Amino acid sequence: MRWGMVINLAKCMRCHACVAACRIEHFLPMDVTWVKLIAYEVDEGGAVDVSTYPVRCNQCADAPCVHVCPTEATHQREDGVVVVDANKCIGCRYCVIACPYQNRTFVSKDKDPGYFPGYERTEFEKKGKKLYPHTRGTTEKCNFCVERIDAGMELGLQPGIDRDATPACVNTCQARALTFGDLDDPDSNVSRLIRDRKGFQLRAEYGTDPSVYYIDYKLGGAPSNKAPREAQTGSHMQHLSSVDRDAYRRIYGHDKEETEVKP
Amino acid sequence: MKAQTRRQWITTHEWMVKPMRQKEWISGKGMLVWLAEVFSALGMGTYLVGLIAGVSEISTWAWWATVLGWALIVLFKLPLHFLYLGRKRNFWRAIPPFTNAWKTSWFARGMFFSIVFTASGFVQIVLWYLLHWVDLSASAADVVTVLAWIVGIVAGVFILLTGVYCGFAMSYCKSLPFWNTGLLPIVFVIMGVADGLALTMGVNLITGADDAAISTLEFWTRILLVVNALLIAGYLVRAYQKHSAAELAAQDLIKGSTAWVFWILLVILGIATPLVISIATAFMQGNTEPLLIVAIVCHTIGAFALKYSVLKVGIYRSVLPGVG
Repeated sequence: MRWGMVINLAKCMRCHACVAACRIEHFLPMDVTWVKLIAYEVDEGGAVDVSTYPVRCNQCADAPCVHVCPTEATHQREDGVVVVDANKCIGCRYCVIACPYQNRTFVSKDKDPGYFPGYERTEFEKKGKKLYPHTRGTTEKCNFCVERIDAGMELGLQPGIDRDATPACVNTCQARALTFGDLDDPDSNVSRLIRDRKGFQLRAEYGTDPSVYYIDYKLGGAPSNKAPREAQTGSHMQHLSSVDRDAYRRIYGHDKEETEVKP
Repeated sequence: MKAQTRRQWITTHEWMVKPMRQKEWISGKGMLVWLAEVFSALGMGTYLVGLIAGVSEISTWAWWATVLGWALIVLFKLPLHFLYLGRKRNFWRAIPPFTNAWKTSWFARGMFFSIVFTASGFVQIVLWYLLHWVDLSASAADVVTVLAWIVGIVAGVFILLTGVYCGFAMSYCKSLPFWNTGLLPIVFVIMGVADGLALTMGVNLITGADDAAISTLEFWTRILLVVNALLIAGYLVRAYQKHSAAELAAQDLIKGSTAWVFWILLVILGIATPLVISIATAFMQGNTEPLLIVAIVCHTIGAFALKYSVLKVGIYRSVLPGVG
């Protein structure tokens, strides 16, 4: 079993709901963000196009951060998820340097000033600290919501299918751009998407074998499969589920009935 | 084909779409890492030179050189690394046998190398002290000599490893193409030994100048400085060929904001000046001490400049291919 995620770049509309869901789920300190949306515009001779790339820890199968960690605080679980044990972390920040995806964050005092800097922490924050201490002097990153996965599986739920066993960002994505599942299962939703839609990994040339795949858009902005601008705008998000056949084909590159995967 | 330009959209994550400098190991508290790396190189060089110089016959200056090298590692390098850690009370977790990470982590290996060197180097210094300053009986001297050889070899190997692991720890990072080359540990070690030779000359001057020893040390300094100058040039050429981010780093080093450190502190003061002085003093008669002192100071400045400039221009590849 190896948990993985597929991100549909054409569907993502930069609403930042995944970022917010992650922050709420883990009570993230103010200046710590596990999920990031990279948006940049491509200007091709006057025709400006906006591209959005949701990025998070890639849970690499051959993770550099695991290799460099001197205390084994960063380790890989049997299900492929790379987690950090804050009790073992010494804060050497070697993992921050070594991560080719720059998805590691060192929790320093300035990154955790409280939600209302200068004031006492709220009850909400205090309770959050008990659940997720976010220990200063250690490094952090996305952990695919392992606590949800573990708790859900104990109840016999299936991550990626049942919401209570699925990462918060996947649950909250209203455009259904995120899909979660078992990469080792050839019949899983993620495996089918990767296979059918030519899923690719970010910076595969590093040889780290990330567990996060992208579909329906080519990094680097190849004009041939660039999503139309309307697919990238927030105002369009309400229409994604109700677009007509032609618009759907234009945005997603295929017919609605063919390969849509219902989460 | 249409001209294509890309503009960054959200500045908060610009490090992901543009090649950006690493800051963790050079900015703010990261300066401690820089200083620790410098003392690593200086300590390694000085200890190794003292050790090699004292192999045939233990001299006062060779003994003091090993003491200085050991002290630079134990009193400067290790405490500086320790101070940098985010969770200092956990530091013991990085030391074998409390961790098995030494199999893959250069940091854990470095901790092990440093600790073995700290212990073996101390024993070697004590044994050399006994051999050089204490009147031992013939049989005791034989035993101590054998022990000094064994411990000296162990300490020599581990100080070399202590000096070289920093380079390997950095060159392991694929995310930073400028560092990601096997040349880096070699450059660090050779520069460290060259700077160690200079510090050993300083020790020699303080403990009573031995002209023959100084000229030998200068001879090796000349060779190592030339070798290192060539290595650095090769390193930069390779950076230009390797990757756009490495090329950017090399450009920053040569003509960017770090250029003054590279050209003035490293090339002119750290390499050219000591090289010229060491060549000049070879043909000079009379008192060359002032020039030697200048050379030693320049060497040491160069040691600080080398590590600073390499750490400073550690530039990440952008996360998104083909962007920025």
